[in-house]
Amino acid sequence: MMTRRFSTLAACLLLSATALTSPSFAQNDAGKAVYDKVCVACHSAGIAGAPKFGDAKDWEPRIKTGMNALYESALKGKAPAMPAKGGATDLPDADIKAAVDYMVAAAKGGAKPAAAAAPQAAPAAAAAPAPAPQANPAALNFNRLLKPASKRNPPPPEDGIHDPENDGTHALQPPLTVFQSLPRSNAGNRVDWVKALDTNQIGPRWDRTDPTAAPVVMDLNIVREVKGSMPDVVYPHKQHTAWLDCSNCHPQIFIPQKGANQISMAAILLGQKCGVCHGKVAFPVSECRICHSKKKNVMPVKNAQAN
Amino acid sequence: MSLRHAWIRQRRALLSALLPVALAGALVATGDARAEYADVVINNYSDAAGMRPVIFPHWFHRIRFRCKVCHADLGFQFKAGGNEINMVKIIDGQFCGACHNGDIAWSVENCNLCHSAKPGTPTQVHESTIQKLAIQPQAGGQK
Repeated sequence: MMTRRFSTLAACLLLSATALTSPSFAQNDAGKAVYDKVCVACHSAGIAGAPKFGDAKDWEPRIKTGMNALYESALKGKAPAMPAKGGATDLPDADIKAAVDYMVAAAKGGAKPAAAAAPQAAPAAAAAPAPAPQANPAALNFNRLLKPASKRNPPPPEDGIHDPENDGTHALQPPLTVFQSLPRSNAGNRVDWVKALDTNQIGPRWDRTDPTAAPVVMDLNIVREVKGSMPDVVYPHKQHTAWLDCSNCHPQIFIPQKGANQISMAAILLGQKCGVCHGKVAFPVSECRICHSKKKNVMPVKNAQAN
Repeated sequence: MSLRHAWIRQRRALLSALLPVALAGALVATGDARAEYADVVINNYSDAAGMRPVIFPHWFHRIRFRCKVCHADLGFQFKAGGNEINMVKIIDGQFCGACHNGDIAWSVENCNLCHSAKPGTPTQVHESTIQKLAIQPQAGGQK
């Protein structure tokens, strides 16, 4: 995957380089390169009223307005959905114009008899407001504020915080190469780390140097009754002591005494108490029911300590 | 350089080809970070020293070590940027240097494997609740 990225990158750089050095040869190639990267998103299928690539009927009325008008629309954008430079505002004007040339050439190449195109001209113009409902399908997307699957666990060069200019970034392991074989969860890294450890799919060391050292796991559940209708919290020492030392939590974060710790969701959200880890590295607070897991009893509430 | 940047942004735009171009354009403009949950950016001194900030990937390390090894045995505080780590301490075998010594893990000559963040990225735990609550991290490199 990384090598593919590199080769496409190299090809892309090469293309741009040839475009700079020999404009006559590369004019159409540069146009195609820009089209393939930017314009294709809408113009290949004719999304949101965009004139479809190679479709003479779509393009003819627009070509009639003159190339300058077309360049203008491409560079500055056009209602309802064409953004300035197709959204790639960092590209030079010449590249955008080359892409327009490329699309116009393709439309002319696939030109149909004028008789067929002429009656279409009027409907095409009238159609401009018609696709308005499709103009912004993102507004209709289900769960539009959630991170779509395509954006989860990206490789380091694409993750937005690693510098793709840095050679070391490309040597780092992409998370999905490991995550694909681990049990999935719905939040955080989207890996169920506790299950991965339980099922021996991962074997993290308990000691820095000794691979045979094993934790002393304490199997003790603490039940915390909570106000309101949320189920009570069951805190399992077992899963925590498999990863952590007692001293990580006691006595600094939690006083090891029943009733001595005031815990609220507000504190957790602000990174205190459970929030020292949950919401930073352990599963996040969106997963309410992993902690709030004990149904409230109509019977008199049991002792706070199970087992 | 700008060409490579431009290409990466366009690639992103392509990935979101289902979105209309208008929205894709907005995405291209904002450069949204979507790194792994719990990736820690440490920029206590890096920017000021002319190095890229450090990114510590929790996911990678928790596959190999339990939390206790670093957070109890090696003394890492549970706070991004809360450990006064510098290269002298690391070479001296403290903090990262307890393992990144050419013995347990690769050694300090691989600067760019850790110092890999975009320059100017502030100290933060990526995707943390606090980050999402929009308590914006401050620019780093001045500690």
